[in-house]
This record gives sequence, C-alpha cells and structure tokens, in this order.
Amino acid sequence: MSVTGSARGTLRGRLETAAPARFWQVLEEVSAEGGFSHRFSAEFPEIAERLSGAVDRRTTLKLMGAALLSAGLAGCKPSKGIAPYVDQPEFTVPGKPRFYATSLVLDGYAIGVLGETHEGRPTKLEGNPAHPGSLGGTDAIVQTAVYTLYSADRSRYVRRGGQPATWGAFQAEMAELRDTYVSRGGAGLGVLIGAETSPTLARQLDALQAEMPALAVYRHSATTPRNPAVVPVYRFDRADVIVSLDADFLAEGPGRLAHARQFSDSRRVRREAAKMSRLYALEGVPSLTGVAADVRRKIRPGALDEAVSEIAAALESGAPAGDKFIAWLVADLGAAASRAVFVPPLDASLYVEATALALNQRFGAVGDRVIYIASPEIAGAPLETLVTDAESGRLEQLVILGPDVLHTAPGDLDITGALQRLARVYHHGLHVDRTARLAHWHVPAAHDLESWSDGRAYEGSASILQPLIAPLYGGVTKHQVLAALAGDFTSSAQELVRGTWPSLNDEAWFEALKSGLIEGSAAAATAPPAATSVAPATAVDGATDAVDVVLRPDPYFSDGTHAANLFLAELPRPLTKIVWGNTAEMSPDTAARLGVAQDDVVELSANGRTVVLPVFIHPGMPEGVIAVALGFGREIEGSAPIGVNAFVLARRDGGGVLSEVTVQKLDAKEHVVTTQHHHSMEGRDIVRELPLAAFPPERNEPAQPTLYPEYENPEEAWGMSIDLNACIGCMACVAACQVENNSPVVGREEVARGHEMHWLRVDRYYAGDGDDQRTLFQPVPCMQCEDAPCEVVCPVNATVHTADGINAQVYNRCVGTRYCSQNCPYKVRRFNFFAYQDFAEDNPLSLLMNPDVSVRERGVMEKCTYCVQRTRAAQIEANITDSPITDGSVMTACQQACPSRAITFGNLKDRSSAVAREKGEPHAYALLEELNTKPRTTYLARIRNAPDSEEDDGE
Amino acid sequence: MQVFGRQADQIAQFGLTAALVMLLVFAVAWVGLDRSSYGTGQRLARLQPIPFSHAHHAGEDGIDCRYCHGAVETSSSAGLPATEICMTCHSQLFADAPVLEPVRQSFASGKPIVWERVHDLPDFVYFNHAAHVNNGVGCVSCHGRIDEMPTLYQAAPLTMQWCLDCHRDPGPQLRPEDEITSMTWTPTGERRKFGEQMIAHYHVRTDHMTDCYVCHR
Repeated sequence: MSVTGSARGTLRGRLETAAPARFWQVLEEVSAEGGFSHRFSAEFPEIAERLSGAVDRRTTLKLMGAALLSAGLAGCKPSKGIAPYVDQPEFTVPGKPRFYATSLVLDGYAIGVLGETHEGRPTKLEGNPAHPGSLGGTDAIVQTAVYTLYSADRSRYVRRGGQPATWGAFQAEMAELRDTYVSRGGAGLGVLIGAETSPTLARQLDALQAEMPALAVYRHSATTPRNPAVVPVYRFDRADVIVSLDADFLAEGPGRLAHARQFSDSRRVRREAAKMSRLYALEGVPSLTGVAADVRRKIRPGALDEAVSEIAAALESGAPAGDKFIAWLVADLGAAASRAVFVPPLDASLYVEATALALNQRFGAVGDRVIYIASPEIAGAPLETLVTDAESGRLEQLVILGPDVLHTAPGDLDITGALQRLARVYHHGLHVDRTARLAHWHVPAAHDLESWSDGRAYEGSASILQPLIAPLYGGVTKHQVLAALAGDFTSSAQELVRGTWPSLNDEAWFEALKSGLIEGSAAAATAPPAATSVAPATAVDGATDAVDVVLRPDPYFSDGTHAANLFLAELPRPLTKIVWGNTAEMSPDTAARLGVAQDDVVELSANGRTVVLPVFIHPGMPEGVIAVALGFGREIEGSAPIGVNAFVLARRDGGGVLSEVTVQKLDAKEHVVTTQHHHSMEGRDIVRELPLAAFPPERNEPAQPTLYPEYENPEEAWGMSIDLNACIGCMACVAACQVENNSPVVGREEVARGHEMHWLRVDRYYAGDGDDQRTLFQPVPCMQCEDAPCEVVCPVNATVHTADGINAQVYNRCVGTRYCSQNCPYKVRRFNFFAYQDFAEDNPLSLLMNPDVSVRERGVMEKCTYCVQRTRAAQIEANITDSPITDGSVMTACQQACPSRAITFGNLKDRSSAVAREKGEPHAYALLEELNTKPRTTYLARIRNAPDSEEDDGE
Repeated sequence: MQVFGRQADQIAQFGLTAALVMLLVFAVAWVGLDRSSYGTGQRLARLQPIPFSHAHHAGEDGIDCRYCHGAVETSSSAGLPATEICMTCHSQLFADAPVLEPVRQSFASGKPIVWERVHDLPDFVYFNHAAHVNNGVGCVSCHGRIDEMPTLYQAAPLTMQWCLDCHRDPGPQLRPEDEITSMTWTPTGERRKFGEQMIAHYHVRTDHMTDCYVCHR
C-alpha cells in the first residue's frame, strides 16, 4: 500500500471517524484505506497484475502447438525397479507405518514425540501423551523438525580449515588435544554448550572435569540467558485466577505445551460445568498469553517492575487503587476461595521474581499451583566470561557444542575477535554457519531423530532419544565428540547413553525406549529460592518521544536455531501473520509520530550499531515501542539468509528492551508479506465471543429449505468441532497439516501473491477499537459442507461428496478451472499455480513425503480432506476386522498436534461421540450459517471471563 | 484473371473433410491405444534379473502365495520376498545353480535384488491388498493364473474401468476365506446367489464402493 508519511495522520483520523467494527482483521478494513481495498474485491488480485502485458495471437498459437506436441510424450510407460529387503527387519510390514517414542530437544529441554516411520524413514512427529513436556501436544517447531532432518543444507562432512576431512582425523586431533591438556589439568581448554539438560552430557562433562579440574564450561543460550538454580513448575489447571506478570507462558519456555493443555483444561465451558479460570495479564508487547487473557493491561516494556510493585502494594493494602485491572484483581483475590497463581517471565528481573514468589506464598500457591525444583539445566559460565578469558589468554582452545555464537552473541560483545584469538576452535553443529566457518574444525551433528541421547522435560523427567534413522549426512552426536575428548574412541553413541543409566536393567531400558519416558525420574520439589528484598527499578521515563526497541526470539526460529527450516519460514507468525522475514513492528500512533508507513524501510540505531528493517503496523503494540524478532538473518551455507539479524542491537547486560533508539526513515520500500488479508471473508459475523455471564446463549437455528439432494451416510458421518476458547493460536495445527498432507513451501513471492498452500489457516481478528483491542483466533479448515457450493460448479466432477460426508477433491480429475474456489464462501481451497514440488529421486526432501497422500502437480485444486488417509485407514481396518470404529481412534493431523485440545473430530452418527456432544453445546455455531451450506466443521464460541462482562455488549 | 481453378472447391472440401476424418481417427486411435494392452501393459512380460518362474514355485511346487508375499493380509502392499526368504530354500536346493548367482550375491553383499515392476498402478491410486483378500477377493481375480506363468505378466488391464466393474458389482468375485489363494477354485451352484451370500458374510459395504476417496486421496 502506498501511504506516505504525511498521510499517516489522516489514517489516524480516518480510524477515529470510522464506524466501530466489531471484529476486524487488518487495520485498513476499519480505516477504509484505498490501497488495500483491491485485496478484498478480487480473489486473486495479483494475477491480473502479472498478466498486464498482452499476449499476441502468434505467441498463443506457438504455445498451444508446443503444449499439444508435448502431450504425446506422456504416453510412454517406462519400466520401474522394485527393491525388496535383503534381510527384512523383524515386525516390519511394507506399507505399514511404525511408531517409535523418542524426544526432541528444544532449547535444551526434551519434548516427547512419537515418530511415524515408513520403511525406516521418519515422516511425521506426534506428541507423546505419556511425556509430561508434551502431553500429546506439539508445536510448529516439533511438527516441522522432519524438514530439518532431510534438508540438503545440513552440514555433510567434517572440515578442517574449510577443507574436507574425516571423523578419524578429528578423533586424532582430539587425542592430541587431550594429551596436551590432561597434563595441565585442563587449564586453557574450554567447552561451550547451549542450554542443555542431557544427563549423559552432564556425566561426560563431570568426568572430563574430574580429569581436568581447570576445564572451563561455558553456557550460552540467547532464549534463556539466565539459568537460575531453582525453577518454578506450574499447575495451571489447579488455579482459578492466573496472573501473568508479562510472562508468555503459553508460547515460551520448556513447559509451554503442558501449560497450554492445563490452561485450556481450566477453561472448557460446557453446559454441565459453566465455569472457567480467569487470566489477568500484564503485557509489554503482544503475546499469545495476552491474547488468551480475560483482563489485560498494557505496560511499557521497561516498566514491569513499576507495574508489579503497584499490584503488590494494592494487594497488600487491600485497597483497589488505580485502574480496573488492579481493582478487579484485588476483589478477586479477596474472595476466600480464590486459588491464584502469579507467573513471572522467564527473563524476570530479580524484583519481579521475588515479588511473584512472595505473592505466591501469600496466596498459598506454593506447593499446589506452583512447586520449585532444582534446575535440570547444566550450569556454565556466561559468554562474557568466555570473551574475557580469551582476551586474557586464560582460554586457548575451545570446543563448541551447538550454539552459533557468532549469530546470537549480543552486538556489544566482540565474540568474533575473542574466537580469533584462540589457537584452535572446534565446532559441532547441524549447519555450516558463521561459527562453523570461523572454527578451525567443524564436525556435522546428528539430528535429534538420528541420535542416541537423553534429555529432561521442564519438570525434570528424563527421556531417552533413540534414532529413527541412521545419520543421513554422517553426523555424530555431541556425546561422541566429548567421548573423543575423553579418550574414548570406540564406544558407540548408544553405549555412551546407556552408560549414563546403569540403574536401568535391560528390561527397564527397553521399557524406557518404548514409552519414551524413564519412570519416576521427575524432579522432587525443593524449597523455593530464599526470599530476597530487591527494590523495583524505576523505568527511565525521561523523554516521552523516545522509542524503545524490544528484541524477542521469533516464535518459530527461536534464536535462529531453526532459521534454515523453510516450513517455519513460510508459516505465518501467530500474531502478525508475517512470513519470510522480520520487521520493525509498531503501533499506528508510533508510526505516525515517526512519520513512517507500512513497508517503509527504517534504520534502527543504538550505540552505534544499526539494523535496517521494513515497517509493519501492528495495532496491538504499545505506544513508543518497536518490536523486532530475533533469530532471523542467520548465515547458513547452502541457503540464503531470511530476514535481518537483530542480535547486533542486543546488549550484553541482557534484557530485551533497548531505550533511546534512533529511528531513521530510509528512501526505500520493502513489501512485508503477511497472509491475514488473504482468503478474506469480508467482515461477516464470523468469529464469535460471548461473556461468561451470558452462558448458555440461546440457540436459534431455523431450518432453511434447500435445493441440494439429500446425502445419506450409511456408516460414518465425519464432523469436527473447534473450541475457540481453547485455541491459543500457536499454529501447530497448520504446520501439522502441511507435513501430513505433503503441502509445499511456495516461497516469498508466491505468498505475496496469495498462493500459499496451507490447507488450514488460523485467522486473527481484532475486537474493539484500534488502540486497546482484543485479539481472537479462528482456525479455518475446510467446512466439509453437506450442501457444498463448490461441488455444483465443477465442470468435470472433480469435487464430489463421499458417503461419509467428506467433500472429496479428486486431483487426477481436476483440470484447474478454479470455479470451486470462486464459489467457496470460506475460501479454503488452494490452487497449485506452479510445480511447487517436483522432486527428483535424489532430492532428500522426497523422503519427507507421506506415502499415503498424493503429491499434487501443477494446475490442480486441493483442499483439506479431514485427513482422508487416516479415516480410510480406520475404515479399512474396520472392514477387515468387522468391528466398528471406536470414538477417538481416528484423529486428524491438526487435532493430534493441538497442544490445547481445541479440535474434536469423530463420527456424528454416533450420538455419544465426543464431537456430537461438542456440537450439542449451546455456544456451538457454524460459519456463515445463513448460507445454509450445513458445514460439518463447527465452532464453539470464545468465552470471555472478565468481571465487567455483564455490561459488555458482546453477543 | 481466374485465381482458383475448376476443382478448387472440391479440393478445399476434400481437404476439410480429410482433416476432420483424420482428427476423428486420431482421437479414436489415441483412446483405443491407451486402453489396449499396448497402453495398459497387459500381457507384457518383463525381463527379470533372475528367470524366476511363478509356474514352477506356485504351480508345480505348490508354495502358498503368502510364503513370499507375507504382508498381503495385513498391509496395503503384498510385499516382495526379502533375499533371505529365497535363501531359506536355495541355501539347500540348487545352492550352486548359476541362474541363482544374483540371489547369492545379494545375500552376501546386502544389496537388494532390483526386480522389474510388473503390476504398476498410478501414484494417485491407493490400492490396499489387505482390504481385498480379507473380504473375499482371491489373488487370481486380479493377477490371473499365476501358477501358469513361467514369466510373470500383468493378466488384467488394471484400468479404472476394470476396477469399477468389480466395485459396482463385487458379488461374483468373492470366495470363501480358505480359497483366497487358490488358483483353481470355482463356485458351485448359482454364482449370483453365492456372491450375495459372500457379501453378507464379509459385511462388504457396497453402498460407497465407488466413492472417489475409496481409492484416490
């Protein structure tokens, strides 16, 4: 869009004068800004733009002739090889997937998964219901991990000085290193790890330090810079008042999946139990926890201490002071029966942490809603110590196990200079990144799915990682690297892990592998950290026109660990729906003050370091604050960096908030690609919210006449219900759908044209006025209409109804007229404009494909099928065994991935099925009911539990 | 001046008609060829790396199909025998026959024998062996008289039309459980009546057997 800086003021004016919209998706919808309206008026607006040059008759005839000629080429039928096993592994049945329990280690903590393998190749990960870090749920990072596993840009060979070397040569080098340093007690040798909880790694480091007492262990994690000795573990399902002190507990931290589940379980409002917990949230920059909150208060990101001390004082005196937030909170906590819990953020200041602990103790939460355990993480000296050690010469040689420190080190820390001073740097990692290129030696790491290792969940439970596939690119585990340093060159990766668990006999070991969890290994509760009295920091509140920059890890790329994962690059960010890059996010007011508009390029400078980013107007942002996502711009050999590295702005004293940042508008434009306005449904009453006090609402569904034929469902009638009150908007479902259904990544330019291929999208709506609005999420898969408008317009019968009520799309029949998409009121059909995936057999990504789903070619329409491969598998099984399909035995990929169990799927003909019960709830509704399409996918309205909800004009 | 000759009109008419006829012939030939055994690969025997004879193993020796194709009752794929299965017999029988050299080599080196695929369905067709053999469809119904094929060939056209013939009217193709792998079984009594009994016996859900999603996903 083309809004000039000076016109920004008028945008503000138009926003104020515009008629109040109940729910809106993008700012321009409310302000009726001209440049954007064409997106709503045409379904594929970018096609018209691209076909601007007229094609002449001669060219048309030439192309037609060429197309006719090439049609004949498809007629040949080449012979194909078919290779059976030589020695078929026991229990392997060709054509049947097998599931193995293992874990992924994310930011150091294990998330239990069940890996689906087809003839030995992992294609899909599901959450392990028995694992406390997963409880059966996953997130987008877990879902797309298989992409990283196969991705061709992984490191493929050992390098010495950039030249190919061998693992044997590296082991010889380690032996030499060991000879040098054992005699010196390890003085001068260092090991740098990321966040790690692996008991095997801890055992190996302990053994090394026993041998070399002066060996230095450094730890660097950009997402969790602090590593306190005692950490809290929450039980949100036991609380009825949850107070988030700017903590994004639903989306960040190792317990996020468990938190999402516990939190949503405390908020399932049903006919028989119409009650739910209440979430108060202080919020600096918009977060998923803030979106889920019933009562939210925006604060200036640097001013958390102040806000918390205000709350603490009000709770102390019992006098409701200040705004509604505090008044309601005091009233709620005054109630005798209230079970409250206070949640400080992961990077809390000492004051906030101490106050949260004091409040939790005062309201009796400690021991019930929150317990404290000794941190499962391995301790290490921070990166600053590494730099000073290198500069002073105390550190001579360094072994780096994982972290790309050159990418994630704060800009004011000269890590490059420090590493260059060292005599030798050894790097072990998945990718050839900047750190790997600077190091003298690089060893490719095995992916978690190729590794024997172990790790602990957020509450301390240990699980074993077992490989689902042999290392594809010759990777070794970090345990093998440390073993070489310890002089052990013969132990296999498995033996190294097995050696950590001598207490497990063979039977217990196999049981641990099978279940994905070592029984009874959860950490015992310890005493909470000693109470300290810290004074709250007063926020620098001098110049009001100063701009603060908040740096925070990207929800998918994290600190850049997953920055090479293109599935994640193209997955719309939960709140902004931005893909393929990071931006300077700011509120409309801030943009107006700075004189910038959407897509303008600005230069942010602080302390002489600058980053250049495009502007994105994000209505939920607080005034005077710019948010920038970290983790972008990572330079990995074999792939182009995505976005801009914002770590250069970060400071070594931690804290993601930078004050006194200068913003300069550059004379350039960069289009920020966001998907929210794609597939728009033009502001109809689509997402619904009601106050808890208004529950149960009256249902009013007059039956409408229809011209469509009656369909009969002789056996099953599949249906889905999505609980908007449970959905936290994390996008795990979209990622799961993409992996399960072989949906391609289309690239930045194609997404900009609205050609993204995700079958499922999560719409974001704002409610209320532009400044202090609430946000709502709504996942939209195919509605599987019983009277489907798409079916009647297909000229070749490529989209038809099946006997179990699925709106089937037959790819091999589709000729690509796209009439169906045009006639779909929900805009859930996707068209392959190009051959987005045309895998040669030697492309490793072809191994990622789910063999039970067709890979669609160019020119066909595709859509959500309710995971027909899964329903068909269940029906075939039922056919063979002549037994009925039990409720809950078939799960769609989105349903299975959801950490908060927002999606229910099953057979509607079975009146006692979970999905039939959900659809009978009073707050169930169908999208665009008035069209009488009779959708099989329905929703449960979101319910807001704010104290003022009686006076709310909500539905 | 006379631009067109006397016969110009006739030539033009003939040309147009000929073009039309050619187009028609071309279209008919295209469709015909596509459905002929040339297009479907029916009865086309492929040269295999080992001259394996089904006629000998399944016919003369009477080895049950499931000895080698063990997954047929449980999986979508019938499965091809691992080299190890071949060697269960051929480590003793014909242990040094020159034709079996590739088998011994594969067993020693661990490299699979790469056979030529005979029955090849398009990638968008999800045929499930288990669903068929557990519901009364015999091997011979699709694969023909395997026990009489010294060199394996595709007995049926494997076109969608051919699939649908049976999916619209499965009864005549169904047989009792213990005759699934039999190559010679024939029903006694009235075929149609017996088929209806079989449909009832196997609880075959005939109502939606022609849904697209039954085979295409």
